[in-house]
Amino acid sequence: MRRSKPLAALAGIALLSLAACGGGSGSNGNGSNGKGDTFQEAASGFAKNPDAKGPAPEIPGATTGGTLTVYVPGEPGPTTLDPTEGWSVLGNSLQQAYTNRSLTQYLMDPKTGEMSLVPDLATDLGRPNKDFTEWTFTLRDGVKWENGQPVTAEELAFGIERSLDSDTFPSGPGTEYSKTYFKDGDTYAGPYSSKGAEYDGITVNGNDITIKMSKPFADMDWWGTFMAMGPAPLGDASKPPAYGKKPLSTGPYKIESFRSGEELDLVKNDQWDPATDPARHQYADRIVIKFNQDQNKVDQIMLSGNTDSQTAIVHNGINSANYQKMLDTLGDRLVKQSAQCTSFMAPDYTKITDIKVRKALAWAIPYEDIWLATGEIPNVTRIPANSVMPPGMAGKPDYFADGEQFTFSPEKAKALLEEAGVTLPYKLTNVFYEPDPLAKAGQKALETGLKEAGFELTGIPVEVSPYDIWLNPDDKTNKKLNVRGVNWCSDWPSGLTMIPPLLKTGAAYNTSMFSEPAIDAEMENIPTLPLEDQPAAWGALDEKIGTEYFPLIPTAFRNEMMSYGEKVGGFKGDPSFGAPYYKALFVMQ
Amino acid sequence: MTQPGPEVLETLAGEPVPGAQPEKSKDPAGKKGIEGKSPLQIAVGRLVRDKIAMVCLATVIIFVLLAIFAGVICNYFGVSTESVLPSRYLDPLSGGLPKEGPPLHGYDPEHPFGIAPATADDNLAYWLYGARTSLSIAAMSTVLSMIIGIAIGLIAGYVGGMLDKFISFVTDLFMTIPFLLAALSVSPILAERFADNPHTYATVKYWALVIILTMFGWMGVARLIRGEVLSLREREFVQAARVLGMPMSRILSRELLPNLVAPIVVSASLMMPANVAAEAGLAYLGIGVDGASWGQTILKATNYFQTYPLYLWQPLIGVVLLVLALNLLGDAIRDALDPKTRR
Repeated sequence: MRRSKPLAALAGIALLSLAACGGGSGSNGNGSNGKGDTFQEAASGFAKNPDAKGPAPEIPGATTGGTLTVYVPGEPGPTTLDPTEGWSVLGNSLQQAYTNRSLTQYLMDPKTGEMSLVPDLATDLGRPNKDFTEWTFTLRDGVKWENGQPVTAEELAFGIERSLDSDTFPSGPGTEYSKTYFKDGDTYAGPYSSKGAEYDGITVNGNDITIKMSKPFADMDWWGTFMAMGPAPLGDASKPPAYGKKPLSTGPYKIESFRSGEELDLVKNDQWDPATDPARHQYADRIVIKFNQDQNKVDQIMLSGNTDSQTAIVHNGINSANYQKMLDTLGDRLVKQSAQCTSFMAPDYTKITDIKVRKALAWAIPYEDIWLATGEIPNVTRIPANSVMPPGMAGKPDYFADGEQFTFSPEKAKALLEEAGVTLPYKLTNVFYEPDPLAKAGQKALETGLKEAGFELTGIPVEVSPYDIWLNPDDKTNKKLNVRGVNWCSDWPSGLTMIPPLLKTGAAYNTSMFSEPAIDAEMENIPTLPLEDQPAAWGALDEKIGTEYFPLIPTAFRNEMMSYGEKVGGFKGDPSFGAPYYKALFVMQ
Repeated sequence: MTQPGPEVLETLAGEPVPGAQPEKSKDPAGKKGIEGKSPLQIAVGRLVRDKIAMVCLATVIIFVLLAIFAGVICNYFGVSTESVLPSRYLDPLSGGLPKEGPPLHGYDPEHPFGIAPATADDNLAYWLYGARTSLSIAAMSTVLSMIIGIAIGLIAGYVGGMLDKFISFVTDLFMTIPFLLAALSVSPILAERFADNPHTYATVKYWALVIILTMFGWMGVARLIRGEVLSLREREFVQAARVLGMPMSRILSRELLPNLVAPIVVSASLMMPANVAAEAGLAYLGIGVDGASWGQTILKATNYFQTYPLYLWQPLIGVVLLVLALNLLGDAIRDALDPKTRR
């Protein structure tokens, strides 16, 4: 719920409050890293299967026909459906499963539930050169647009090129990856912003597309799962922003109508050929996605079990007050799915320079109280966190920065503060999103807990997203803060999408202002290591940063709650998104 | 509304009042004939005999006392609005509902009204301080709107001419501004301006609410008073005062104002409940004071309407009871002061 841009960690309103909160629990002091019964561990690491062929493996018991309704509580959904702009769990999980194909994609094995990276529009997972500075993909034959025209390699190249246009698509994922890794990404402004300019980073030869990199980029195959790495019709046909209202579909469904913030209706796309697609299905006749639903209303609909709710699913979210009832009534149809996200509290590295004070702060946060106050279910939707890398990410280390899992322990906090020799109470200043009563309640709990542990927190109420404050170095409120927060989800299961964006000197989301040249050098170095060594290297770096510098206090790993009706089949959580695995859903007939 | 002149007074003084006949017949004073009573005395007499009005008055007085002595009552029960760590009082497995007391367990003597889910705030303390917030903001904004409205109405009605036209224009202008829209937009502006100093912020928010309610409350009074003054200023006693060379300020305060007591009391008594409701409504929309407020509690409690109904009922009953009592009392006062609308 409320993750409007969680892939980029640009979390939604209520989530922002949690960015400065969450994590740790008194009931998990056994050093098991909080893997309680209720916490669902994601399968560690995703396999790669370049040989996967269409059609996709049948889902046992699947039937065709019917209308599937998707309720999206408390989230307005995407404002544009342009694939290049999509960088949210909600938009990407839906569009990538139903309408927009790209170079690669994820497939969940229907029997084991294991996720793997498989080809999509490309015939394989790409062929890199030795140092990963050049990737070649081959477009498969027989892929058509919804209007029956074949998808050409030029269109695919053009679609990828669009992701370099950060002025036209300012919140697209290309701003983070294409711009950083593609050749001339920093100078070439994209097909719309620098009209007429030739871009030689992407070349087309028959069905082969070659992308040149400015630096080694071993994760191009993962980046290929984003719909931004898919085709776009040439010329004016895909001109933004008009194209975002009704982009042409290549997937099993096409857009019938779209009203931003209200509803998206999808119907079967008869031009989609299952033989070309190793992961998608076309079971339901029609898919209706309802955005911005009231959480309580949705909970009641699912609890009622009426005809409407039987063929409906909830994208994610639950009102904690209804949790027990939902659990009793829905049973297995209430699904927990871990999201590859970590919430942090970020003490300012330049202002709180003593690591002892930062550790004291980690002992002083009343984790469970904040979860309760902000409407989370402790140890179900939020679990204690220990590292930057979230569970389910290959190489995630199991270290504890101060010997054991941080829990609320005023005594330890006070002892550390005394050791550090600072005057008590130690003064902290943060911001909280005032219009949200949950954020206010969380702030109150945080204040109370910190006070008990020898800190004095002053909360500045703000009416804008705290990220607007944290990310703006010139903001006068920001200058007063010595504690910030950040909430980060991985874009694919690699430390590359977690550690550098948060801890590299000058990185946009480096809200702790952490800067150590030695660590920066290691972040530059790891992507050049052999592929199989990288996860362990990221994990080791995570541990090194955590134990030696401790710039970020991991406060929580996150689980999403989803539910589905009696007549919906094939429902599984998607560990790559922390959302339902939409590709396999069907309506029982 | 017309002013009761002396000729009306005489007839009213001896009239039979509904519900009071038996008493009157027994009372030898009733046979004494005409008795000299001021219009207000007559109105108060009528009010006292109105049972509903008296019940409402008692209710309002009880609420006022609860609000004034909120601190003392909280101390007596050993509760406070201080924030606590929720995990010590709430059961995470039951969706954040209290470990003791309602809704899952019996009465908890330490928290007579129970504690709030999610935050574990004490409901009784929040209810009492909510009453204080509600009543103090409503009373303050009513008094301020009355003062502004009366002053503007008096001047506009008495001076007339261009000044009257101008003031009437401003009054109409304010009436065209949508109240909710203005309130919703002023709040973030204030927050932006004063948020950097959290210590004064609570005070700023409190007064901002009073000012918003006042800003949109005075126009009705001003119009009413202006209309009254327009008719009064042509009356003989005002003209006599003018001929005698009384200064304007004296005419306004000594001649006109006393004759306006009835409409002022009526509109004040009807504005009060409106402001109580408005305060709760605005707090529900997020424009409220920091801390205890019925509207904010209602907002939080709506999520628990099924699992913890008591939490929602407490502030709801508070608002409904207080607004109802104030409204009925206001109606009764109007009936008592204006014989023409008597039922």
